[in-house]
Amino acid sequence: MTDATANTEESTIYDELPDAPPKKKLELTWVGKLGVTVVVFWLIMVFVGPYIAPFHEADIMAYDSYMPIFSTTEGEGFHLLGTDYIERDIFSRILWGARTTIGIAFTATLMAYAVGVSLGIAAAVAGGWLDIGLSRANDAIISLPSIMLGLLAVNAFGSSIPTLIMTAGAIYAASVFRIARALGQDIMVMDFVEAARVRGETMQWIIFREVLPNAAMPLATDFGLRLVFVVLFISSLSFLGLGIQPPMADWGSMVRQNLEGLGYGSYAAVWPALAIATFTISINLIVDDISASSGGSLAKKMI
Amino acid sequence: MQRMVIQRIIIGFITLWVVSVLVFIGTSILPGDVAEIVLGQTATPESLAAYRAERGLDQPLYMQYLTWLGGMFTGDLGTSKAGGASISSLISGRFGNTMLLAGIVAIISVPMSVVLGLLAAMYPGTWIDRILTFGTLSLISVPEFFIATFMVLIFAVQLQWLPAIATMSPEASFWETIGSMAMPLITLIIVVAAQMIRMTRAGILNVMNSPYIEMAILKGVKRKRIILRHAFYNAIGPIVNVIALNLAYLVSGVVIVETIFAYPGLAKLMIDGVQTRDLPLVQACAMIFCGTYVILIIMADVAAILSNPRLRNPK
Amino acid sequence: MTESKGKSPTINSLSHTDQDMVKSGLSRGVSRRVVMGWLMAGGATVAGAGSIVASATKAVAAMAQKGGTIKFASDLHGPSDTLDPGLNTSTIDYSRGRAHYNGLVQFNDDTSVRPELAEEFSSNADNTEWTFKLRQGVTFHDGSSFTADDVMYSMGRHYGEKSTSTAKTLVSDVAEWVRVDEYTVKAKMSGPNGDLPKILATSQFKIIKDGTTDFQNPMGTGPFKLADYQPGVRSLHTRNEDYWRDGPNADSLEIFAITDKVARTSALLSGDIDLMQGLDPKAIPQIESAPGVGIWSVASGAYIGIVCMTNTSPGDNKDFVLAMKYIQRREKIVRSILKGQGTVGNDNPINAAYGPDFCSDLPIRQHDLDKAKFHLKKSGITEATIQVAEVAPGTTDVVLLMQREAQKIGLKLNINKVPNDGYWGAVWMKTPMNVTTWNMRPTANVMMNLAFAPDAPWNDSLWANERMGQLLVESRAVTDAALRHEMYCEMQTLISENSGMIIPAHRNYLDAKSDNVEGIGTMPLGSLGGYEWPEFAFRTDL
Repeated sequence: MTDATANTEESTIYDELPDAPPKKKLELTWVGKLGVTVVVFWLIMVFVGPYIAPFHEADIMAYDSYMPIFSTTEGEGFHLLGTDYIERDIFSRILWGARTTIGIAFTATLMAYAVGVSLGIAAAVAGGWLDIGLSRANDAIISLPSIMLGLLAVNAFGSSIPTLIMTAGAIYAASVFRIARALGQDIMVMDFVEAARVRGETMQWIIFREVLPNAAMPLATDFGLRLVFVVLFISSLSFLGLGIQPPMADWGSMVRQNLEGLGYGSYAAVWPALAIATFTISINLIVDDISASSGGSLAKKMI
Repeated sequence: MQRMVIQRIIIGFITLWVVSVLVFIGTSILPGDVAEIVLGQTATPESLAAYRAERGLDQPLYMQYLTWLGGMFTGDLGTSKAGGASISSLISGRFGNTMLLAGIVAIISVPMSVVLGLLAAMYPGTWIDRILTFGTLSLISVPEFFIATFMVLIFAVQLQWLPAIATMSPEASFWETIGSMAMPLITLIIVVAAQMIRMTRAGILNVMNSPYIEMAILKGVKRKRIILRHAFYNAIGPIVNVIALNLAYLVSGVVIVETIFAYPGLAKLMIDGVQTRDLPLVQACAMIFCGTYVILIIMADVAAILSNPRLRNPK
Repeated sequence: MTESKGKSPTINSLSHTDQDMVKSGLSRGVSRRVVMGWLMAGGATVAGAGSIVASATKAVAAMAQKGGTIKFASDLHGPSDTLDPGLNTSTIDYSRGRAHYNGLVQFNDDTSVRPELAEEFSSNADNTEWTFKLRQGVTFHDGSSFTADDVMYSMGRHYGEKSTSTAKTLVSDVAEWVRVDEYTVKAKMSGPNGDLPKILATSQFKIIKDGTTDFQNPMGTGPFKLADYQPGVRSLHTRNEDYWRDGPNADSLEIFAITDKVARTSALLSGDIDLMQGLDPKAIPQIESAPGVGIWSVASGAYIGIVCMTNTSPGDNKDFVLAMKYIQRREKIVRSILKGQGTVGNDNPINAAYGPDFCSDLPIRQHDLDKAKFHLKKSGITEATIQVAEVAPGTTDVVLLMQREAQKIGLKLNINKVPNDGYWGAVWMKTPMNVTTWNMRPTANVMMNLAFAPDAPWNDSLWANERMGQLLVESRAVTDAALRHEMYCEMQTLISENSGMIIPAHRNYLDAKSDNVEGIGTMPLGSLGGYEWPEFAFRTDL
C-alpha cells in the first residue's frame, strides 16, 4: 500500500509540529471591553433589576397606554421610557425582563452546548454505528422547523419556564451537534491528530488536547449566535401567542406585544428590541475577541 | 463516494420514516383532536362523534397511521381531516411558492455571504471586519417580525412603494408579484445571510490557525493566495453545513415571514396543521421538510468530502 | 346624532360616522321610513330627518356603482376553511357563505328578518308551525332550479346522529320539516317559538343544493359564483349574472385572511385590502389618523366572560364568585383595553343591544374592594388558578387586570396562559376557572338558552337553576309585553347574582374599511355588520 509509506513519511514531519495551537493570554480590544461592560451591566440587572425598578412588572397604571418617554402620571410616578400597550411601565419591565430573557437564554444555550458538543464530538471520534445512530436521531429533530417543535412542546407540556428551557435546549442541541460533529471530523483527519495517534496518545488525550481546543473557536462564535437564536426563538413563540407566561416580562414578547405602537409613533417596541440588541451584540463582540486572540495569532502575522 | 451517497439516500428514507412516526405521535398526544378544534365552542358529544365517524377519526391511531403510510406508497397523500380538501391540492401551490422564495433568497444570500465572510476573514480586526461584524450582529439580534413590520410601515404604509402583503394572487402581473415579494425576500436574506457570513469568517480563521497554513506562511505564500487556495477549501466542510441548515430553514422555518406577508407557503401550513391536529396534513409537510433537509445535508456532506480529500478515507 | 341649526339639514349636517350609517342603510335597501326612525331616535325632528333622508337618497343614487373588486381580509384562515354552512365557525366562512349562498330569510340591521329565498313566511297563532313560501325562478350556479327539495335537504343536515352541524341545538325544537309542495315547506315545532325565522337567518342555515356532499365546489344560489377556492390561501368570487334579484354591486370579491393583526392593519393602510375584520383596539388611533380609511364599530351583545365552574372549588363557593365580581374594574376595561369600543358588562349576557328584552333596571355592579375583601374572607380562599387563552381580543389583558385587583384583596390569582388551539375541547368547561367569549345571538332567549339553561350543553359554569329553565321555556309563549319584560328581568337578575359567570364587558365588533367601499351594514350579530356585506358593498372610486 502506498498509503502506508506516505503516512510514515508524513508522521515524521508532523512530529515536529506543535500539538495544538499555542494558548495566548486573552487581550481584549476596546470593542471587546465595551462588550464586557454591557454584558456585565445586564448580568447585574439580572440580579438587581427587579429591586431597582420603579414599578412591578405586572403593575398596570391608571393613566394611559403608549405614553411617550419621560411621561409623568399623577400620583403614580415617572415613566422614563413611557408605558406599554396595557399601561405598564416599560423601563421597569425591561429591568425585570433581563432576568427572564438572559436567564432562559443562558441556561438553554449552555444545555444545548453540553449535550450537543459531547454527542457531536463523540460521534466524530467514534464514527461507525454510534455516529450513524446519533446523526439520524439528530436529523429527525433538526429537519423539523424549531417553531413547530416549540408549538408541540408548549401544547403538550404547557409554557412554563422549565419547559421553554428544555425545548430550546433540545432544539439547539441538535444544531450544535451537527457543527461539533463536522468540526470534530475535520480535526480528526488533521495532520497533528494523526501525528498524535502515531505517537500513541490515548483517545481521551486527543479529544481534550487536540479536538476540543481546535473546535473551541468556531463553537464560541456559534455560541454567541445560538444565544441570540434562543432569545429570538422565545420571542417567535410569543408571535404564535405562546411563550413566557403573562404578566412576566421578557424582551422578545415585549417587542411583539407593542409592535402596533410603531404604526403611530410609539417607541414601546423599540426599547426592548434595543435591550436584546445591546446584550446579544455585546456577547458576540466578546466572542470575537476571544476567537481572535486564541486563533488569530497567525492571522495577525498575516496582516 | 457513489456507495456513500447511495448509503446516505437509504439512511435518508429511514430518517423520513422516523420523522413520520415521531410527528404522528407528537401531534396525537396534544390536547384535543381535529373534531374538537373544528367544531370549537359549539361542539356537542353527538356532533363530535358524527364528525369523527365521517372523517375516519374513530379508527385506532395505529390504523390511521397505517392508512396514511399505505397511501404514501401509492402516492396518495389523503385528505385534510379539518377542511376535507385533498392534501395534494392544499400543498401543490404552496410548494411552488415556498421553493420560489427559498430559491431566490438562496441565490442572492449564499454567494453574498461567502464573499463577505471571506472578506472579513482576510482582514480580521480591520474596519471592514468590524463593520461586517457589527452589521450582521445588529441585524440578527432583532426579531424578524420587528424587521418585517418596520419595513412594511416604511415602504408600504408611509412611502407606498411596495405592497404590504405578498398573496401571490394569480391575477397579479409578473412585476406586481416581484414587487410584492421584495420585502419578504429582504427580511429573509437579512436573517440567513448574517449567520452564514459569521460562520464563513469563523471557519476560515479557524483553518488559518492550522499548522500547515503556518507552514505556508513561513514559506512566504501571499495571504490572499493562502485564503483563497488553501484556507477556504479546508473550511468548506463547516461552511456548507451552515449553508445547508440555513437553506433547510428557508423551506420549513419561515412561518413568521409567511404570516406577516400573508405569503401562502408550507411553513405556515404545517403550523396550521398542528394547530388543528390535522394529522395527514402535518405528515405531508413533515415529509417535504425532512426530505429537503436530507437532500441538502447529503449535498453538504458530499461537498465537504470533495473539498477535503482526507475525509474520503477516514481512518 | 346631532343636526346643525338653521336651514333645512342635509346629509352633510351629520357626523362622518352617522353619514356612513345613513348612506349604507339606504344603499342596502333599508326603507326611508326606517332610516328616518334612526334619525329621529337620535334627536332629529320629522322635517329634519325627512330632509336628511332625501338628500342622502340622492347622494346614494349618485354613489352606488356596479363593478370593481373588493378585497376583504379576515383574521383567521387555514386548511379548516369550509364552504359547508353547517360547519361554519369563522368569519371567513360566514363571509364566503354570504357571497355564495342565500338563506330562507335574512337579517335587517336591527336583527329583524326579511324574506330572502322564502318569499313569505308566517306562523300559526301559537307559533307552533311556520310556513315558508319559496321564491320561484331562482337557479343554482349550475343552472338547476331551486325548489323545496333543496330546502328539505339543507334543513335535514341539522338533524340526526350523522349530523356534524354546529347549529343543531338551535333548531332542535323543530319536530319535523314538511315538504308541502314544490315551493312550500313547513316547520312543525315541538313547542311555541316565535323566533324561528331569526335562527334560520344565521349562517349555518344557508340553502345548498339537494344532495351536496362535496364542499370543495358546492352549488349555491348566492350573488357570487366561486371562481377560485384554496382553503387557507384565498377565494375569488365573481358576479352571478343570473342572480334572482338586482345582483351584487361588486364584480368580484377576493376573500382571504392576514392572521397577523399588525400586518392586517398595515395592508389596509397601504391600500392592499379594502375591508378588514378584527381591528385591534390599540390600532384605532393609527386608523383614525390615516387618510382614506376608517373604523367600523358596531355595538353588540358579544362578551368576554370569566368562568368559575360551579361544580368544583373555588367556583362552588358563592362568596368567592361574588368577590371576583366585585374586583372587576369594568369601566377601566372598556376604556383601556377595549379603547372605548365596548360597553360595561353587568355579569349579564344580555345588554342594550338586545333591545326591549334587556333589563336596564338592574344596577351595574361597581368595583368595590371592601365588599370583595369581605366575601373573599368569608370564602376562606387565598389562592386560585385561571386558565387563559386569547379567545377574543383583550381577554388576557382583562385577566391581567383582574390579577392585580385580586392581589389587593389578598388573593393570589395564578394565570396559566394556554394555546388557543384545543382550548374549547380541553380547557373550557373542564378546568375550575377559565375564560370564554360569546358572539351576540339573534334574541335574548336564544343567548340565555344556549349558555345559561340548566341543561344547555354550553352552560360555561355548569350553573343549573331550575327557575331559569322554567322561565326560558315559558317566556317564549308569552305575548304580553309587560309580563315578558318582567320574566326577562327575573332571568337576568338570576344570572347576574347567582351564576358562576363574570361578564365585565361587552365588546363592539370592531373592524375597519377603506373610504372607497360603502354599503357595509350595522347588524350587530357579527363582524362588518353581521357578515351581510358581500352582496351590498360597493366601490365609490370606479
